Amino acid sequence: MKMLIVDDSRFTQLTTSKLLETYIEDLDIAFAKDGEEGFNKYKELKPDYVFVDLLMPNISGQELIRLIKDYDRNSKIFVISADVQKNVREEIESLGIIEFINKPFTGEKAKSVAELIRGDTHE
Amino acid sequence: MNENDLSYDILKEIFNIGVGKAASMLSEIVGKKIILDIPNIIIVESEEQNKDIGKHFSALPQGALMVSSIKFEEKITGEANLLFPANKMRSFINLCIDQPEYMGCDDLNFTDMDFDIIREVGNIILNSIVGELGNTFQVSLKYTLPEVKLFNADKFKRNLKSQEDLCILLLFISFIIEDVKIEGAVIINLTLDSLNELMEMTKKMEDDLNG
Repeated sequence: MKMLIVDDSRFTQLTTSKLLETYIEDLDIAFAKDGEEGFNKYKELKPDYVFVDLLMPNISGQELIRLIKDYDRNSKIFVISADVQKNVREEIESLGIIEFINKPFTGEKAKSVAELIRGDTHE
Repeated sequence: MNENDLSYDILKEIFNIGVGKAASMLSEIVGKKIILDIPNIIIVESEEQNKDIGKHFSALPQGALMVSSIKFEEKITGEANLLFPANKMRSFINLCIDQPEYMGCDDLNFTDMDFDIIREVGNIILNSIVGELGNTFQVSLKYTLPEVKLFNADKFKRNLKSQEDLCILLLFISFIIEDVKIEGAVIINLTLDSLNELMEMTKKMEDDLNG
């Protein structure tokens, strides 16, 4: 299964991938450090799932989600953000993402993501 | 607004809730209990008070500080800072990446990855506190990208003082990460307009409470 993690923090890229690999087997994980690189990698790699941070340089996470959705309306996106504002969550959820997850991304949250993905792939 | 006002109490309580949530997140990241001090709200209304601002920060860690900051704007505008003593950052980083805390404890040469970890943790903690303010008052906030800087404690205080137009309302709390005894502090400063905005919103809450 191919995944793309888009986050300007290398620390978060690594912890997120490590936690996902703990709960999901046979992952091929790619990284991007901002929305611009994220969109290019999405088009190049066609990942099964994308994990997007919101506050990033160049192209923000919100703009990236719009770009990806315009390009591929069946794209499957998780948002992992430090932003706890309810109105931000509602606005982002309205873009058709799978789930909005607040940082820090923990083992418990990774397990929940794995269950969502397993449910999704068995549909 | 003074310490006996209900508005002051409301603002302090909202800040307290945000700090509580942030402490819970920090505790998840470092795997340790966080002991919080009592939060303070300092309103600087005159040049005279501005000169004395340093006395409010007796609990501030001394020496070199690692300061992680985010700025926010829209209806409430200001800056939030998370402060740690730089000489404890190696232990802190090791906790964040789940390494034994004694590894390389004296090492004060920080790598890009170290700064990245501190920036990201600061971003999570500060978003939690500032976001709680936004949620409670139902206002949207736009954040800048988080930054990390090394400061001398005195220079940081002077820096706060020098922002005369900005340094009007300060929300301050210190805390300790249990077992490893790492002290930290959160300082949020808001503009005069934001102070007035907050006053209006807390006054409305107060009126609602009083029926």
